[in-house]
Amino acid sequence: MASFIEAQNLSLCFRPKNREPVTALTDLNVTVARGEFVSIVGPSGCGKSTFLNILLGLIKPDSGTLELNGMPIAGPSQERAMVFQEFGLLPWRTVAANIELGLELKGTPTVARAQRVTELIKLVGLNGFENHYPHELSGGMKQRVGLARALATEPQVLLMDEPFAALDAQTRDLMQTELLQIWERTKKTVLFVTHSIEEAAYLSDRVIVMTARPGRTKDVLRIELPRPRDYEMRLTAEFNEIKSRIWEVLKEELNSRAHP
Amino acid sequence: MSPKSYFAEHRRFWIGLCSVAILVSLWELVLTYVFPVDPFFFTKPSLIAVAFKEQIQTAKLWHDLAVSSQAFIWGFSLAVIVGIPVGLIMGWRRRVEYSLDPFLTALYASPLVALAPLFIIIFGVGVTGKAALVFLLAVFPFVFNTFAGVKSTDSLLINVIRSFGGREKDLYLKVILPSTLPYIVAGARIAIGRGLVGIIVGEFYAASEGIGFAISQAGDTYRLPEMFVGIIILSLIAVILTELMRKLEVTVAPWRAGDEVR
Repeated sequence: MASFIEAQNLSLCFRPKNREPVTALTDLNVTVARGEFVSIVGPSGCGKSTFLNILLGLIKPDSGTLELNGMPIAGPSQERAMVFQEFGLLPWRTVAANIELGLELKGTPTVARAQRVTELIKLVGLNGFENHYPHELSGGMKQRVGLARALATEPQVLLMDEPFAALDAQTRDLMQTELLQIWERTKKTVLFVTHSIEEAAYLSDRVIVMTARPGRTKDVLRIELPRPRDYEMRLTAEFNEIKSRIWEVLKEELNSRAHP
Repeated sequence: MSPKSYFAEHRRFWIGLCSVAILVSLWELVLTYVFPVDPFFFTKPSLIAVAFKEQIQTAKLWHDLAVSSQAFIWGFSLAVIVGIPVGLIMGWRRRVEYSLDPFLTALYASPLVALAPLFIIIFGVGVTGKAALVFLLAVFPFVFNTFAGVKSTDSLLINVIRSFGGREKDLYLKVILPSTLPYIVAGARIAIGRGLVGIIVGEFYAASEGIGFAISQAGDTYRLPEMFVGIIILSLIAVILTELMRKLEVTVAPWRAGDEVR
């Protein structure tokens, strides 16, 4: 498998003032192919989100190498974009103005920005809400804005940090299916952090299970379900079998955390 | 809409209005029938109303208002120009915060009007002295509220800007400033009240014109209705400006309409 994202022996230790240092990651190895949808599951606090933030370029690892397409990741860049769990929309900006944030920071001319925003509004199904403010939107719609904003700059890698965790169950199911459709159309490489085994199994090509803190890769499971996937697929025995396989791997880590 | 539901809808306003009307009537009635005090020592609404009508027709009142406003506007504008940037930098730069904090805390807590004599000595009896006093009183709410606004900026939004490759300038312009704006407006509301105190104290202490001087002079010469005219005009100005700020708070931050900004 040709690797597109290659993380080798990533280690990171947080050293907060006046407190014990916390080892977040030790020797984490992750390889992702171009266009692949990879989910990361693991116990709370295992460093999943930290890893995404390293990929985003907001945090520097203490050691290890991290490459995207053969080039080391040195800081934030518009080739990588994040969809945040708490949306991270600017409350004083309309939907359209939020979506164009990245383009604005890049210096894209106004006309081109407006055109791109129109495309994205259509893609995520927010027609008619261009001039609404985030506080006027439901959680699901806010995350559509978050997704559109991340896609606006045409990144090669989409990082998603529990993007649907703040949504109610039905909205979540709906958003997962829409994300798959968008992914199939845009062919981004996606790294998706989640707590939900079901979500990971449904969306991904591969699921990485991380150990309890300090986080390492415990196991990688390939999800051999055909695509495009639909909601009914979740009701099959095959899907349940995949879920229980992930659960088996994850269970030990949850237990090891409860009884260290 | 039936008249009943109209009153129900605007209950707050009508009850407030009634309560003011009752108080004013009581004042009038008590001073007319219960304790008919010599108007030399205390006055009543009907006499104030007569004085009000006379006063607003004289050029002196408008001149006094203009003089006071001029000092207020200078001092207040300077407070905005200095207070907001200082608050922004204090909120974003730890070292600046720690260096300025002792002075600001002490100055904010102290009754700064005590410095009025000093300011009059340094800046003189005219507009400059009063403007300096207004500035001194009004600048702290701007500094502190701006500071608090910066401190409460959502770190997630900072990360969003950074993740898109935004620079420090972008952090200020696209996140910190807009998220601090409602705090600044709330600060302006407090600063207005304090600034008006500055004007009045300055004019009580040493002045030959201005609304504060007019109030103090009317009081000194036992022209009580005239004194109340000055006080009422001053309250009206304070209420109008403060309410405007409240409206502005909602306008600049519709997403936080409902939660009270202090």
